[in-house]
Amino acid sequence: MTKFGRHDDKTLIDLMVESSLRALEDAGASEKNVDAVYAASMLAGELNNRVAIGSALVDQLALIPAAADRVENGPASGGSAIKNAYCGIACGMYDTVLVTGGEKMRHVPGETITDYIATMTNIEAEYVHGVTLPSLAGMLTRLYMERYGLTEEDLARVAVKNHLNGSKNPYAHIQQPIALEGIYGSPEAEVNNPMIADPIRMYHCCPVTDGAASVLLCATEKAKEFTDTPIRIAGIGQATDKMAVQDRKDPAVLEALRVSAAQAFKMSKTTPQDMSLAELHDAFTILEIVESEDAGFFKKGAGSKALRDGVTALEGRLPINPSGGLKARGHPVGATGVAQVVELTWQLRGEADKRQVKNAKRGFSCNLGGFANNILAFVLERS
Amino acid sequence: MSENRLVAYKCKKCGAIVYPKRFLCSSCRGRDFEEYPLGGEGKVLTYTKLWAIPEGIEQLPLTLAIIEFDGKVRVTGQVLSEEVKTGDRVRPVWGHIRKVRGKEIQGFRFELIS
Repeated sequence: MTKFGRHDDKTLIDLMVESSLRALEDAGASEKNVDAVYAASMLAGELNNRVAIGSALVDQLALIPAAADRVENGPASGGSAIKNAYCGIACGMYDTVLVTGGEKMRHVPGETITDYIATMTNIEAEYVHGVTLPSLAGMLTRLYMERYGLTEEDLARVAVKNHLNGSKNPYAHIQQPIALEGIYGSPEAEVNNPMIADPIRMYHCCPVTDGAASVLLCATEKAKEFTDTPIRIAGIGQATDKMAVQDRKDPAVLEALRVSAAQAFKMSKTTPQDMSLAELHDAFTILEIVESEDAGFFKKGAGSKALRDGVTALEGRLPINPSGGLKARGHPVGATGVAQVVELTWQLRGEADKRQVKNAKRGFSCNLGGFANNILAFVLERS
Repeated sequence: MSENRLVAYKCKKCGAIVYPKRFLCSSCRGRDFEEYPLGGEGKVLTYTKLWAIPEGIEQLPLTLAIIEFDGKVRVTGQVLSEEVKTGDRVRPVWGHIRKVRGKEIQGFRFELIS
């Protein structure tokens, strides 16, 4: 992947090429090896005035005549692209597929980005009323506070943990640790951490980020041609839920995650207890807590206690977001689902350096589309 | 939907209430709906006060809520007060909601019933 951050001097395609070449070089793959390319991006047209970026990427990578598609599934575009690549290989159509997700967003004013992103909500039921993604996160947070006793301190602790992890990740957008008192419970916190969507504040939201991430997938029997330490995609799940949060059976439950995570665990013949680490989709800190429950790691309402007890810290029993997560690594929207799988791959190979999870054997990731109405789940393992 | 009353839709096959209108009933896949006027008041399930407002909104902060009607159907919308709390009773009122790419949007917003 590229470093995540601000890249004024590069186009979206520049970032995707840089990331793709790193993945190909890492695998020792040549142009003869790549049968297809999946390019994931949510807002290439809206923010970068480019569509059909699969064709652009395959051309710039000199991989013609490999098949090429753009995959768009909101913030789950990256996860969907990996799933499509997996399916293309599993059905026997391709041997080797390159997946690259990318987004370039920082050059566009924040309110414009927020408005484009808000168009993935239910337009008639939500968007026209002024609903944005932070507002949905704010309403979910309030439900959680009133029902399960979640506190603002819990939300801040997710940010503190993920910034600490991000400070050990040279690819992270923000590599600076933050102190709890800097964003919570002090006079300076009121200044540093303004309200965005009451009760959520700025440090409960991920930054706006440019970047790209890539993985090279191949059939299991081909893997040894590229590496002695292949990482296997052991399970994949994908499920949807009602487009509008108001229409869900219980708006405090991420049902699409319950279903997709269960699919991924079943396919991989594992349970949540078998995971050495998890990369969760913390676009808002509330989501890390809710996902840690609905994916099956903790009972409903117990995620914040696990956080407070250090279970999800880098040295804990189940490190969550050792990369820094979306909170600190950043969230170039279409790249995120791929970046999560890249982090799991490095962790399972033992290449994560200062943020290495000890004896990592299996990892879980989930990539949320919409406000959790379309979710991809993955289980990866050392083979 | 008119400016006189907030209307949901009742599936003629299974009786499920949906809002806004949809092609298929999400409970039974039925395709025929009849209008189902929502009662005069709903109850706030959750809310937020949005300080990072999108383009086309003037109100700062913008109060948004998910409101339950008759315990059967939920509606998302703006509340015309910053004093709202979970469980408060609200009633729909017609008016200007926002502009989307310069186009005026009208619809129901909600005011607190004191």
